[in-house]
Amino acid sequence: MSNTDLNVNRKSGWQRINIFKVNSIAPSLVIVFILMCAIFGGINPQFLSFVNFKTIISGLSVYGMMAVGLSFVVLTGNFDVSVGSVVGICSIVMAMMFNIEGVKIPIAVIILAGIALGAFVGAINGFLITVVGINSVITTLGTLAILRGVALLLANKPALINDKFYVSLGRGFIAKTIPYSFVYLIVIFVIAYLLLRFTKFGRNVYQVGSNSNAARLAGIPVKRTQFLTFVVAGITCGISAFLMTSQAAFAQGEFGTGFEFTILTIVVLGGISLAGGRGTLIGVAAGLLIINSIANGLTMIDVPVFWREAFNGIILIAAILIDSIRVRRRELLKA
Amino acid sequence: MDGKVLEKKKTSFRLTDTLILLIALIALVLIFSLIRREFFSYDNISTMLKNMVITGVLALGLTPLMIARGLDISFGASISFSGVLMAYLYNLGIGLPYCLIVGVAAAVLVGFLNGLLIEKFDLIPIILTLGMMSILSALALVMSEGRSLSMLTDQLYYFATRTFLKIPISLFVLIIFIIVFWFILTFTKTGRTIYIIGANPKVATLSGIKVQKVRILLYTFMGLVTGIASIVMVAMTGVGNPLAGAKMALPVLSAVVLGGISLAGGAGSVWGTVIGVLIVSVIFNGLSVLNVPSYFIQVFQGLALILIVSLYEVRNQRAARR
Repeated sequence: MSNTDLNVNRKSGWQRINIFKVNSIAPSLVIVFILMCAIFGGINPQFLSFVNFKTIISGLSVYGMMAVGLSFVVLTGNFDVSVGSVVGICSIVMAMMFNIEGVKIPIAVIILAGIALGAFVGAINGFLITVVGINSVITTLGTLAILRGVALLLANKPALINDKFYVSLGRGFIAKTIPYSFVYLIVIFVIAYLLLRFTKFGRNVYQVGSNSNAARLAGIPVKRTQFLTFVVAGITCGISAFLMTSQAAFAQGEFGTGFEFTILTIVVLGGISLAGGRGTLIGVAAGLLIINSIANGLTMIDVPVFWREAFNGIILIAAILIDSIRVRRRELLKA
Repeated sequence: MDGKVLEKKKTSFRLTDTLILLIALIALVLIFSLIRREFFSYDNISTMLKNMVITGVLALGLTPLMIARGLDISFGASISFSGVLMAYLYNLGIGLPYCLIVGVAAAVLVGFLNGLLIEKFDLIPIILTLGMMSILSALALVMSEGRSLSMLTDQLYYFATRTFLKIPISLFVLIIFIIVFWFILTFTKTGRTIYIIGANPKVATLSGIKVQKVRILLYTFMGLVTGIASIVMVAMTGVGNPLAGAKMALPVLSAVVLGGISLAGGAGSVWGTVIGVLIVSVIFNGLSVLNVPSYFIQVFQGLALILIVSLYEVRNQRAARR
């Protein structure tokens, strides 16, 4: 564990990319994943079948994109609990744009509008948190309620989407094996990874998260960086909303309820420290795979639905306990 | 009134704060009663106050905890869980007092566990209690199989419906809590310890206060308060509902924050919280009397929370600049 003393500046650059060195939690996550596959596969061999693998892969995208966005926010030491509601409102607005009487809006415009709405909501969150200076949890708790309320008001009935092309964007497969949605997820992961690792913005995110005072003294625009992370989270929510609506072919006000919890679990399990400034998207990808496979596996071995929820809570608590122990060990190593 | 023991400057500062809130409360009551006569009727007011008991008790429990920089959002799920547990045991034929004791004990245990994990592992309170929330609500659903378990007893019915001097009996629970918390926070050494921890935990540690211990105690106390709120909930509804507390977090947090407690800790008072709870209840009840759809009320609550905190924040920043 000697590499826990990770210096972001020193490590950035192509030659430094090494999955097992960059994030010390990744190897343990891989072990957990293999163990899990063994257990679920042992109880129900169907779990390891190719069909089920395809199910897991196509289920990753909505959560995965949001987890990427939230990772940016958590890396700067903030939280966003409104992500589920942002997805809800973006979904319903996009679906409503399909249903305007007598007007046919191009699909690209609708998708862009949905993403822009997400970015706008993220900007509002960011404004309240950085400029007004309210605690991020309280702010996003407020926007969570507001956006959900508005989404439910807009959607007094499910808004159907009758557009074959739009639906195929979410449900289609490449060569009948790789879902389009998985491709989008990979693209977003790669973009976000490059953004965090090779741009000034990415480095600022880490610096602000590990020590915002030092970052300010070093001339890093702390508030602007934090603001932008919320916008990034909003954008990923918008994209998730696009994917959800196109996969479901309709939208309703409840879309995204309770997502914030799962997303937070993925991010924390993936090794993004809640103290900010530590963790990489590779860990998040592993966390995402584990959480989704667990959800899938528990269904496969017929665990009742309520127990599955309890399981999620236990995983979250275990993840933050591990995070805390890691932080403490790092401090011991420093001292 | 509330800060006599603290230094003079602070007292006047906080008093004006409470006064502003009081004026806002009176203005709200006036507006609602002008729009709708029914608002100011005995029936409506007593219903409102009865519904306020649970929010109020929880907000009071959160007050010292948040002053000492802790936070607990698992109380809603804890209420559901304890309620279901009590009803479950009651349906097994166990005597009422034992059911209530077990239910409260479960809530206390949850509070203690929250405190222990948060303090010993130095966790972020909101995240841990979020996890606890999901576990508890899932357990409540497992135990009740997703249904409401009925728990109709004469004693609880009496407690929920009778009035004394035209005041609902359940309201006395809240009044007792207000007096106890006010006394502890203003006149005892424990109260001052809590304020010191909130103002600066490091200084508190250096001056020999066992910060962790006090906070664990406060979390446990929050558990106790939650258990009692759960009894009130079961008494009022007559069922152990696994979703009873699902939407409690926002109104309670709004009330507490409205009453002047900041997440940064160290500030706040019992009277501020009481007025905060009253304002939240008046808004909720007033909008219901005006037949506003419940989604609007949710939007309104969120807006109110953000608006209030922004105002406090802007004013604090201005004060800091001076």
